[in-house]
Amino acid sequence: MDTVVAIRGVTKRYGPLVAVDGIDLGIRRGEIFGLLGPNGAGKTTLISMIAGLLRPTSGEISVLGHDVVRDYRETRRAIGLVPQEINFDPFFNVEETLRMQAGYFGVRLSEERLVEILGALDLLAKRTTNSRALSGGMKRRLLIGKALVHDPAVLFLDEPTAGVDVELRRALWSYVRRLRERGTTIVLTTHYLEEAEELADRIGVIDRGRLLVVEDKDVLLSRHGAKVLRLSLARPLAALPAPLAAAGARLEAGGSVVSFEASGGDALGPLLAAVAEEGLAVRDVETRRTTLEDVFVRLVSRDREGAPA
Amino acid sequence: MISLGLWTLLQKEVRRFLRVPGQTLLSPVITTALYFIVFGYSLGGRLREVEGVPYARFIVPGLVTLGVVTNAYLNTASSMFVMKLQGTITDLLVSPLSYGEILAGFVVAAVLRGLLVGAVTWAVAGAFSGFEVAHPLLALALVVLAAVAFSAFGLMTAIWASSFEQVNFFPTFFITPLTFLGGVFYSIEMLPAPFRAFTHVNPIFYLVDGVRFGMLGISDAPPAAGAALLVVVATGAVGAAYAMLRSGYKLRG
Repeated sequence: MDTVVAIRGVTKRYGPLVAVDGIDLGIRRGEIFGLLGPNGAGKTTLISMIAGLLRPTSGEISVLGHDVVRDYRETRRAIGLVPQEINFDPFFNVEETLRMQAGYFGVRLSEERLVEILGALDLLAKRTTNSRALSGGMKRRLLIGKALVHDPAVLFLDEPTAGVDVELRRALWSYVRRLRERGTTIVLTTHYLEEAEELADRIGVIDRGRLLVVEDKDVLLSRHGAKVLRLSLARPLAALPAPLAAAGARLEAGGSVVSFEASGGDALGPLLAAVAEEGLAVRDVETRRTTLEDVFVRLVSRDREGAPA
Repeated sequence: MISLGLWTLLQKEVRRFLRVPGQTLLSPVITTALYFIVFGYSLGGRLREVEGVPYARFIVPGLVTLGVVTNAYLNTASSMFVMKLQGTITDLLVSPLSYGEILAGFVVAAVLRGLLVGAVTWAVAGAFSGFEVAHPLLALALVVLAAVAFSAFGLMTAIWASSFEQVNFFPTFFITPLTFLGGVFYSIEMLPAPFRAFTHVNPIFYLVDGVRFGMLGISDAPPAAGAALLVVVATGAVGAAYAMLRSGYKLRG
């Protein structure tokens, strides 16, 4: 597998505080990687070290084979960063802001590329508007535009849709997918788990500076996830028939609901067969797949139970 | 041939101060013009001549120097500090600009602002007291060196500072007092001996005195001493600012 960003044993300390603790991670070419974690977990610290905003205390990071500290000019040309905090320079308008950012990267922004970026971010009408006069959502889109002016191989989006309305969030998601289709590798940090579930190919869960798990999203969901089946019965039961109890089902709601949690690869077939054999009359069936949010909460709370606070 | 990255940063820094000319150019010129009118005319009426030049002419080099160094300092200091405050410093830090390019972009723009203020101050004062310059190249070289040194001080202060108050430490406690005590408005020959001795350890005195030699051809100290001191200070300041940027101090955690 082609690794674009290689992180080896990276630690960042601030005095006694360990913000990032010995992380090893490889980001693959062309993927959307979702880095999830609670506030203060170390997500921003990690991507700031890759982008050159912070220097690791120890360990090595390379981007396209270049070391981010030693060969910083090469690695920064390959990276676009959309920071979490909105920033803008009130001295300049949208077009000037984008042209300047391209210039810092040694790129003369063509009219065609400028219009393409403005169009994709729905900022064409604001081309000559002072950045101070933009709404919060527009300022955030301008940040994304600034990160794209030099056509980076890897785009880091640090909480890109914080404070963005639903419609715009969907539009940004579809733009991120389009970028990926064009070959851009994308690393996304978010605490909207729905966003990671929607976009990411692979997920890394980070808590208290340590990477708890890195897996394909689908594998993660099927391994740690579960399918919950709830059968509402026409006539309540006094006790759960033995074959159902043996299969792991539980009786709930005063005997009127049989619930069953199928984890990992467990199939629901044997349970349904047992229900039929017992001749139970089923009034309603409800199934629910665990979401990334359930998996995330489970992983983080398991980590915290096992470690000193 | 300079890189597109450096050219962009330089243009941005120059456009930044040109967009608010009232604050960055006009205001300092008015301040120095007031000094010139108030001191030049009120005292000039009594003093008439210092070291063989009319008093109004005598104070011009010091006023030009004051305008140049204050504005060179303020340009880097306020630009860098505001970038830190607004978070736009990130735009530079994630870019492939080298440390030398970042330093050059800030310093050259600040030198240009210092020289613009100095030139306008000189033009306003010259309208009253004449435009003859004794050693134009020397005067220009000294003023440029002073602007380079003070822009580097401004950059370092802004990188270090965590409040506007700290940004203002340097002009309030260093530039203004040492300039006023550095012979802008008087010749040290006019001072009693103890104050004269103090003036000799004030680095700004050598700067003002050197520029005065460049502009008027008169000086209290050997002009070569001022020039040499200035070369050392400017080189040291630029070197220290480069080392500070390179170390990532306060900018790259």
